[in-house]
Amino acid sequence: MFQLRWLWARLKGLRKKYVFALCSTVVLAVLALGNSAITAYIMDTIFRPLQETGAVGEDAVRRLVVMVAVLVGFTLFRTGFGYISIMTYENVSQKLIYDLRRDLYKNMQEQDQAFYSAYRTGDLMTRLTGDMDMIRHTVCWVVRQLIHCVVLFTTTTITFFATDWLFALTMLAVTPFIFVITLIFSRQVHPLYVELREKLSRLNTAAQENIAGNRVVKAFAREEYEKERFDEKNRDYKQANKTASLLWLKFSPYVDTLSQSLSVAVLLAGGIFLINGRITIGAFTLFNGLTWTLVEPMRMLGMHLNDLQRFFASSNKIIELYYAKSTITSRPDALLPQGRLQGRVEFKGAGLRLHGAQVLKDIDLTIEPGETVAIMGPTGSGKTSLINLIPRFTDATQGEVAIDGIPVRRMDLHKLRSSIGVATQDVFLFSDTVDGNICYGDSGMPEEEVKDFARMAAVDFAEKLPQGFDTVIGERGTGLSGGQKQRIALARALAVKPILLILDDTTSAVDLETEKYIQEQLAALSFPCTKIIVAQRISTTKRADKVVVIEDGRITQVGTHKELCSQPGYYREVYRLQNGGMEKEAV
Amino acid sequence: MARNRFDVDENLETPFNIKHLLRAGAYIGRHKKKMALSLLYSAVSAAAALVGPLLVQRGINVSVPNKDYGELVLLSAVMLLAILVSVLFGRARSKYMISVGQEIIYDIRKDLFAHLQKLPFQFYDDRPHGKILVRVINYINSVSDALSNGIINFVLEIFNLLLIAAFMLICDVKLSLVVMAGVPLLLMVIVLVKPAQRRAWQDVSNKSSNLNAYLHESLDGMKITQAFTREEENAGIYDKLNQNYRRSWMRAQYTSNLIWVSVDNISTWVVGAMYLVGLCALGPGMQIGTVIALSSYAWRFWQPMLSLSNLYNTFINAVAYLERIFEMMDEPVTVDDAPGATALPPIEGKVEFRDVTFSYDGSVNVLENFQLTVNPGESIALVGPTGAGKTTVVNLLSRFYDLTGGQLLLDGRDIAGVTLQSLRSQMGIMLQDSFIFSGTIMDNIRYGRLDATDEEVVAAAKTVCAHEFISQMEDGYDTQVNERGSRLSQGQRQLVAFARTLLCDPKILVLDEATSSIDAKTEKLVQQGLQALLKGRTSFIIAHRLSTIKSCDRILYIADKGIAEMGSHEQLMAKKGKYYHLYTAQVED
Repeated sequence: MFQLRWLWARLKGLRKKYVFALCSTVVLAVLALGNSAITAYIMDTIFRPLQETGAVGEDAVRRLVVMVAVLVGFTLFRTGFGYISIMTYENVSQKLIYDLRRDLYKNMQEQDQAFYSAYRTGDLMTRLTGDMDMIRHTVCWVVRQLIHCVVLFTTTTITFFATDWLFALTMLAVTPFIFVITLIFSRQVHPLYVELREKLSRLNTAAQENIAGNRVVKAFAREEYEKERFDEKNRDYKQANKTASLLWLKFSPYVDTLSQSLSVAVLLAGGIFLINGRITIGAFTLFNGLTWTLVEPMRMLGMHLNDLQRFFASSNKIIELYYAKSTITSRPDALLPQGRLQGRVEFKGAGLRLHGAQVLKDIDLTIEPGETVAIMGPTGSGKTSLINLIPRFTDATQGEVAIDGIPVRRMDLHKLRSSIGVATQDVFLFSDTVDGNICYGDSGMPEEEVKDFARMAAVDFAEKLPQGFDTVIGERGTGLSGGQKQRIALARALAVKPILLILDDTTSAVDLETEKYIQEQLAALSFPCTKIIVAQRISTTKRADKVVVIEDGRITQVGTHKELCSQPGYYREVYRLQNGGMEKEAV
Repeated sequence: MARNRFDVDENLETPFNIKHLLRAGAYIGRHKKKMALSLLYSAVSAAAALVGPLLVQRGINVSVPNKDYGELVLLSAVMLLAILVSVLFGRARSKYMISVGQEIIYDIRKDLFAHLQKLPFQFYDDRPHGKILVRVINYINSVSDALSNGIINFVLEIFNLLLIAAFMLICDVKLSLVVMAGVPLLLMVIVLVKPAQRRAWQDVSNKSSNLNAYLHESLDGMKITQAFTREEENAGIYDKLNQNYRRSWMRAQYTSNLIWVSVDNISTWVVGAMYLVGLCALGPGMQIGTVIALSSYAWRFWQPMLSLSNLYNTFINAVAYLERIFEMMDEPVTVDDAPGATALPPIEGKVEFRDVTFSYDGSVNVLENFQLTVNPGESIALVGPTGAGKTTVVNLLSRFYDLTGGQLLLDGRDIAGVTLQSLRSQMGIMLQDSFIFSGTIMDNIRYGRLDATDEEVVAAAKTVCAHEFISQMEDGYDTQVNERGSRLSQGQRQLVAFARTLLCDPKILVLDEATSSIDAKTEKLVQQGLQALLKGRTSFIIAHRLSTIKSCDRILYIADKGIAEMGSHEQLMAKKGKYYHLYTAQVED
């Protein structure tokens, strides 16, 4: 039930409207009886008397015209009110999920990488679409129907008891059984909906991965295999859906039979009471006429509780995201240094444990403002993990990382990250124009400047695209070559004029000539900038002020290209491998 | 179609037409028997429910005055029986409907997914992935009820309507016509509202597509957003899309809800009119009893009208989604097996490009009159500036795209005439973007050859020097790597993708920047392992690190839409041309 309390808390600011909507449902349930009342009145006062007299007087026509006018006017009022009522529900529920979406989106933006590793995109999408819709459905439909049921049930019950308590009691005798059955059902169906949700999430994930990996699927001609895999998820989902829906069919015959047996009670008990004179024919007609308004709410209760269980299953998933807390956030007492930072980076005994493995150990390193530091090391040695500590993509588990003497954990996160320009290894571009991608970090940037940064990162190829810089590139930059994507990512990182530029193997797919050009550009930036460059190529590292070699999570060598070339170690080996005899040939 | 972005509605050119419902009908058609039985059961159930009032009438008029308790009990028993019949038949119908509804969406989803597998890269490149996803999952779910229960109820309500209309007409033609005069009036309202309503629902589907596409992309690119501290601006964009969606939804509701309001009011008007006409026409030809009877029929006539109008709303809504689903199913498959395509026999490895011309967009040629003959077992390296067309050359080889001009022959057979499956399954292609699926490392490598044993997987991993780091992970080969392999470093991902490619035992191997993120030492080891494997296989290697390709039989320098230089490393060095320039760039300072 805490889900409903949570929902009520989210309705803040909308509560007045929502309560109005709820009240209007009560009123409408009563108004619904109005039409039959007026019609009955017309029959009783105008037509029935005529049956006896047979003559139509002026008076009757006039009265009928008035009554019809009342009927039409009443209907107009009732439907108008009903329209307003429904639109209020729609309005409130839409505003609610609008707010929820906005809040969740913001919360998603605060989550760290650990969160995104734990939750798959397909799963998050399921929550933010399907589950969200279930909440809307509950607020705007299920609750309304429940109230409608309760109002009908109570008013009818009261009417019955007011008319004849014994007759009423015989009729209501079955209701406890119906409630019990419905509750048992509701309990049993809950796990099925949890399961169903899970299957939907898996289906979503399967589709999502297939779409994202469509190139690999084609490269391996695995279409049939993918179809089979998807079919399995599709089938599971179908089955779970059927199972959940069919459960109700196990209970519904009892509920339906019991509730409809009220008519039998009316006939049998009513007939007996009529014979022994306990009730009048008028009372009987009343009971008989209103049986339906008692049966329907009882029958529908199961359906609505069913929906409510779905709501519980869905809202749990939403609430989980709503309260997800990232460990990487600005502390309340975070420092906000004024002006541009200097760009001195210090690692003081920094270490990182991830998934039970020591990824980084005892990292001590100082990078002076304006320096260019190259980081090299074997695959999986911890290079990316090391640089991830600086913008706090992950937090060091031991020691600390500081910029300008301020530990990054104590610095305002926005200030920290906006001072850093990162081009990550796995290039992610947005489905936007080339121009829009480059100025991602500063969307107000004048076009001229964008072009400048593009030139620096050798994004000149964009000129040749169909619409130049206004060409929309696909999600993840598909349609561009690896080197082209990297160059856009580089331009994007440069365009924030960072105090600290981090390039994580950003030029690995760029040809050597272009790379050389880029390096020259980087050396002549118009703003002061510390550069940390992860690279595998000697051609990249040799221009650096300092080269840091990381092996197995530790710094094993630090020095300039020349120094490291002259001492035995990883660097020299790599140098020899890559340049094997090349210098000789060149000379 | 130009590339689509999250904030661009995909306009649908085709006007509304019943075609979409008919096409959906094909899916329903597979369940003809169940649909027919459902209809029958519903009719029985409804008929049984009608027995009740008759029994009550009999009880009041006969049993009670006669004080006949026995008959009262008997009537009650019959009524209980009727209820049981009604309930059980109703249940049987529901059971079928649940099944049919689920089967239909299962089938549509299956077909849509199968079609998606055939669509070219271009399709995926041209639109946000979230827009594809939302069709496969959310839209299809939305149409389930309309296509199962909706159809049955529609038929039942129509039947109901006709039945009552017949009763009314038998009773009195004149008054019936007054009651039915509301129908054209209602139709007028529908005709007036429909265009707005349809547009509104299309808009809803568009806006939800936009919203979800942006959400999807935001989630995927969250790290970048955080790195560039663009959260606020993105939240603003999302907010706008969110608002647009809400507005479109409300607009759809404003119009859709007009329908039931109209039905309710029109029905009151015609009943009122009927009273007046009835009263004025009272006389020899018009009994007062007729008016009373017709007034109760009139309400019952408009009851199904109300249900029908609600169903109509459901259908309009469903059609807006169906249009989108079928639109995607109609997306042309540009690269497909040619009619009469035959399976390619085991590849020997001779590759010929004859006058190949290719353009992605039909205007700018990437390659022009490209000529190349590669002998079986030869290793070919492709070098050249970024974007010169190196990847294009290898993409054409796997027929990811069809040629704009010329011919591409494999062992003397035009690849346009062989089945894609037989062609691609014999090629090992390692792409620039080493996509890793969520699952275990074992599963990821095995993707290359599904029937490979664990030992073969490990052997492939050893060849590419991935075994060491894999065995160091907490569950070894059974370690779960997250979506896109985010638990692995880029280099490790490349090694896994490399192992995956080798495992498929390709006759032709294509490595497109396969080792760009792998360190030089590991690469050296990988190459040693590869040497043995490559023997007798034709291979194409694209790499910027020239140490990777030095030992290839032939090196092609790709530039200006064709081959600028070609020869062995030694030959090209001696030539002192572009390759020489490129190669020496590393030492020149």
